Amino acid sequence: MWSWSRVCRLLAVLLVLGLTSVLVLGQVFPRNETLYVSGAAWGPPSDWNPFITWSKANTTGTIGLVYETLFMYDPLTDTLIPWLAESGRWVNANTYELKVREGITWTDDNPLTANDVVFTFQLAKMYPAIWFSPTWNYLQKVTQTGPYEVTFEFTANPLYQEWDNNLYNIAIVPMHIWQGRTEQEITSGMNPNPVGSGAYKYESHSEDRNVWVRNDDWWGTRLLGLNPAPRRIVDMRFSTNTVALGSVIKGDVDLSNNFLPGIAHLTQWGYVQTYFAGPPYMLSANTAVLFLNTTKKPMDDPDFRKALAFAINTPEIVRVAFADLVKVANPTGLLPSLEKYVDQDVVARLGFSYNPSRATAILASAGYKDIDGDGFVEAPDGSKIELEVTCPFGWTDWMEAIKIIASSARAAGINVQDKTPDYGAWNTALTTGTFDMTLNNWAGMSNTPWTLYNLLFRHPIQEIMGSGNFGRYDNPQMFALVDQLAATPSSDEAGMKAVCSQIQELMLTEMPMIPLWYNGLWAQWTNTCWTNWPTETNNNPIPVAGVSVKRLPSTWSGYWQMGGLLTLTQLQPTGACP
Amino acid sequence: MSRYFGRKLLVYSLTFFLAVTIDWMIPRFMPGDPVQTMLSRGMLHAEGLEVMYGYYTKAFGLDVPVWKQYLNFWNALFHGDFGTSVYLFPQPVIKVIMRAVPYDILLLLPAILLSWFAGNKFGALAARSRWLDNTVSPLGYILTATPYMWLGILLSWVFAIVLDIFPIAGAYSFAMTPHLSWAFVGSVLKHWFLPFVSLFLVKFGGWAIGMRNMIIYELEADYSHYLEALGAPRRLVRKYAFRNAILPQITGLSLDLGVIVAGALVTEVVFSYPGIGYLILQAIQNQDYFLIQGCFLFIIMGVLLANFAIDIAYVIVDPRTRLGMVGEGA
Amino acid sequence: MKKQKKHEILYFALRNNKVRFGFTIILFFLLLTFVGPLLTHYAPYDYVNPKGAQPPSAKHWFGTTMFGQDVFTQFVHGLRATFLVGAIGGALGTFIGIVIGFTAGYRGGIIDEILNMITNIVLVIPTLAILLIIAAYLTVRGILVESLFIGCTAWPWAARAIRAQTFSLRARDFVDLARLSGMKDWRIIFSEIAPNMMSYLLLVFILQFGGAILIAATLDFIGLGPTNAVSLGLMMNNAVLWGALLLGVWWWFIPPGLAITAIVGALYVTNVGLDEVFNPKLREM
Repeated sequence: MWSWSRVCRLLAVLLVLGLTSVLVLGQVFPRNETLYVSGAAWGPPSDWNPFITWSKANTTGTIGLVYETLFMYDPLTDTLIPWLAESGRWVNANTYELKVREGITWTDDNPLTANDVVFTFQLAKMYPAIWFSPTWNYLQKVTQTGPYEVTFEFTANPLYQEWDNNLYNIAIVPMHIWQGRTEQEITSGMNPNPVGSGAYKYESHSEDRNVWVRNDDWWGTRLLGLNPAPRRIVDMRFSTNTVALGSVIKGDVDLSNNFLPGIAHLTQWGYVQTYFAGPPYMLSANTAVLFLNTTKKPMDDPDFRKALAFAINTPEIVRVAFADLVKVANPTGLLPSLEKYVDQDVVARLGFSYNPSRATAILASAGYKDIDGDGFVEAPDGSKIELEVTCPFGWTDWMEAIKIIASSARAAGINVQDKTPDYGAWNTALTTGTFDMTLNNWAGMSNTPWTLYNLLFRHPIQEIMGSGNFGRYDNPQMFALVDQLAATPSSDEAGMKAVCSQIQELMLTEMPMIPLWYNGLWAQWTNTCWTNWPTETNNNPIPVAGVSVKRLPSTWSGYWQMGGLLTLTQLQPTGACP
Repeated sequence: MSRYFGRKLLVYSLTFFLAVTIDWMIPRFMPGDPVQTMLSRGMLHAEGLEVMYGYYTKAFGLDVPVWKQYLNFWNALFHGDFGTSVYLFPQPVIKVIMRAVPYDILLLLPAILLSWFAGNKFGALAARSRWLDNTVSPLGYILTATPYMWLGILLSWVFAIVLDIFPIAGAYSFAMTPHLSWAFVGSVLKHWFLPFVSLFLVKFGGWAIGMRNMIIYELEADYSHYLEALGAPRRLVRKYAFRNAILPQITGLSLDLGVIVAGALVTEVVFSYPGIGYLILQAIQNQDYFLIQGCFLFIIMGVLLANFAIDIAYVIVDPRTRLGMVGEGA
Repeated sequence: MKKQKKHEILYFALRNNKVRFGFTIILFFLLLTFVGPLLTHYAPYDYVNPKGAQPPSAKHWFGTTMFGQDVFTQFVHGLRATFLVGAIGGALGTFIGIVIGFTAGYRGGIIDEILNMITNIVLVIPTLAILLIIAAYLTVRGILVESLFIGCTAWPWAARAIRAQTFSLRARDFVDLARLSGMKDWRIIFSEIAPNMMSYLLLVFILQFGGAILIAATLDFIGLGPTNAVSLGLMMNNAVLWGALLLGVWWWFIPPGLAITAIVGALYVTNVGLDEVFNPKLREM
């Protein structure tokens, strides 16, 4: 007969035995060697496959920390940084020669050579489900011309702008590991225990965290003299931003890349530091654009769209919805880091800013009048105007923003109501073009203005517009200009500027969508355990691989290779944390 | 008797079949397209979107007619295949669930059982002590009437931020990897404490009040007075009253245990505690057909098993119900 | 005779401390619902204070939110939503519970089994997913939709409780007598069984009322509440989303939760008090 006391005694003995015998395996990370970050992951870690792009926010180190790209890019100085590649150049209009850096090893000690680069590009040729396989529309051949030399041959019109973007976004994978894998494993495999070439290695994960451990054998230390300071990076995921805010206040997080509403207060109270000491506190990371459905009346009328642009009280959005954490966007929508492509003359002539009387004047001269006396204008043909502006429910800052958009439009006499459907419904309305007007910000920091224009004027117009031009603005002249920009070599800055100027002229005349404000590169950190974070006053260019570049305080997916990793190499432990 | 259980079994199988079918259907009525939603999270590099969309729609088996998807679903289910999660692609659903559920059991099982024991104990005591009734019962009312997240957030604010004695997030320290050591067990307990206490308090109030009212009913019932009049000792009368009062409480307990697999959504949100509840909400918001199906399959099984257990328990414990359950003339 | 009994109940109800206590609180908040909007000249979501979050003052009794909205205005408007959800959701839930419970308890047998099956299915279907579906076809959810939704999903326990009560009443002599006299089933239910359960049904309704308020608060909190209204739950949700408590803006977070606790607590206390009124034996306690 089993008695309770016997069971209890046995369990106790087992517990003690177990605890003492495996105590050795236990790991507690020393605080002074560990960097705690948060804000990138929106879900539990699911895979470490660099070819599955949409989940990379959840294991944000996969590209950048573990797998690396041929180049890195610094948006602040607009510089491509030779990384896995030692150099790369266009030898003629459609041949690109790449020299792979010698002396790089994978974490299993195999050397990284031209073989791996060619293999990675060949994968995309074989499997159309890999995100960069459309590159093969204009890429003809990739050949290995030496142990560390690769030659890319293109068709007559390579998309130079996109190519540069690829150079710092395509992660190179080790051929000796990936060549034996099936298509399914490559396009949909979890790729646990990834073998990369980067500064950190995968160590462990659980539902709410990723742990990356430093690769002490990293080539960057040997060849470039870069020393990532933290021995471990713990990337934490919180259920809500409120919990993230609490963790920041408690001092559990070193760098938080969450959108936290009270940052202005916390900065003033001395809890955290941000890139700028005052508004907007954050660098600008992407443009919030109000897409107008140009297939619906009256948004098919450029005059109406222009009036709307003048009617929206963006300064109020910045002040109330974002508490000065963001900045009013340039009318062209281009980020400050791409400012050199803004034609100031065009903006001065055609640009818009909040000006309700201007809005009513444009409406009046275009024939929009309040006929039935309800305080809202009717279309020139006398039909009533009732529009909705949407954003997904739960996106709190945007929900406040569209309230202001709607109320300022109403103040100018345009009847607009704000609606917040759930994400799925919103996404369907967005891609199938059934919305009236909606917010979207899918073009982030980039090496080229083409990234934004590719989002705004994506073509051809299809039944489902999954990746841009949601308002279905159909203008062959504009499409031709965007195509022309895509095919302009990035070395031809004057040529790029000329095309951009034409695009901006057309865009501000037609106003098919309205750029409103720049969302921030949300980043707030403490100087308790780690210091020397990049700020407006502490971001002198550092020499890396022959170029001088700046740092970005971000752990988001895609930002490790845009200055995030360099931030790690410049951090210093304060010694104040045990 | 065997006829009775046979019929019960039939009804429960039918319930299972219908419930699973409805749960299969519901996400498919939701607006939007799971693959589209999944890919839209990638945002960057949309060049190949159309091709990728076709590829992954096929990979999820969503390119065949709906009736065929339904047949495939049952077929896979009988082979123990729950499919692949869309939200956490490419993780298998069963793995996702198995990883999350232990946290819920760790949290909910003690919370449910301890609050049940303590609640019933206090309720029974309160029913015969004026003093206790005036102190514990009002507390019970306040606890059951408090919006749970409000209480949870207040607890978290006071103990994790102001007093800074408990952690604010996670199931164990972010500075540890799971292993067997006193430090790790201590860390797990420390992270577990606030979510547990919040659940315990709210549940405790409900059980205590239920028990208090039930006991008073029973003590005032005719049979109690009759027994007392016969000169039975008070202890015995109370014992009978307690026995009768505990029956509905057992029903409540088993139903509570039945939905244990559903996790504790609000707790997980407030304390950022990993578990299945928050996962289910995310799965629903991302239209993850397969994860939704998988989770609800377990919930259905839990609830039905609990109900079945109640049926059996009642027949055994309380012979009076036997007659009624079989029903006359039907 | 009957009238006298009514008076008697009223007499005991007014003398019962629990009922008095509960009723006072509920009446207070109910009054505030009607009078409150007259005391404020703001709209709930207007940005009335350019300074953002400010603690309670003579101008803004409950202070202002981070956006500079008046908390008191949101509070009194939110109260109305809370009472609406409780009343509509509670009434609907009770009604469905009554229909299913009476039928199952009185008829028994196979009908009981089928109704039990339906009850079980409602218990296990993913209600949140259904909310999302409803949301999709309405684009906007209002208070009414939320109330109806809560009513349609919260009835199973009421049905169970009523079924059990009906079950025990059915076996009583007067029901047998009615049946022998050839009365139709539904007439027996409404003329013989229901009146004997009137007090019980009222108690079920009160519990459903309070329950609906709490469920609504939870739905609001996880972001599935009304998308175009003001409610106490939404206030709490917004306060949490903008880190009110953590940033010291407690006057935004505390009042809605406290009000819900007070109202639901008062309902429960009233419930127990009324129980004592209806069951004279319990009064001796």
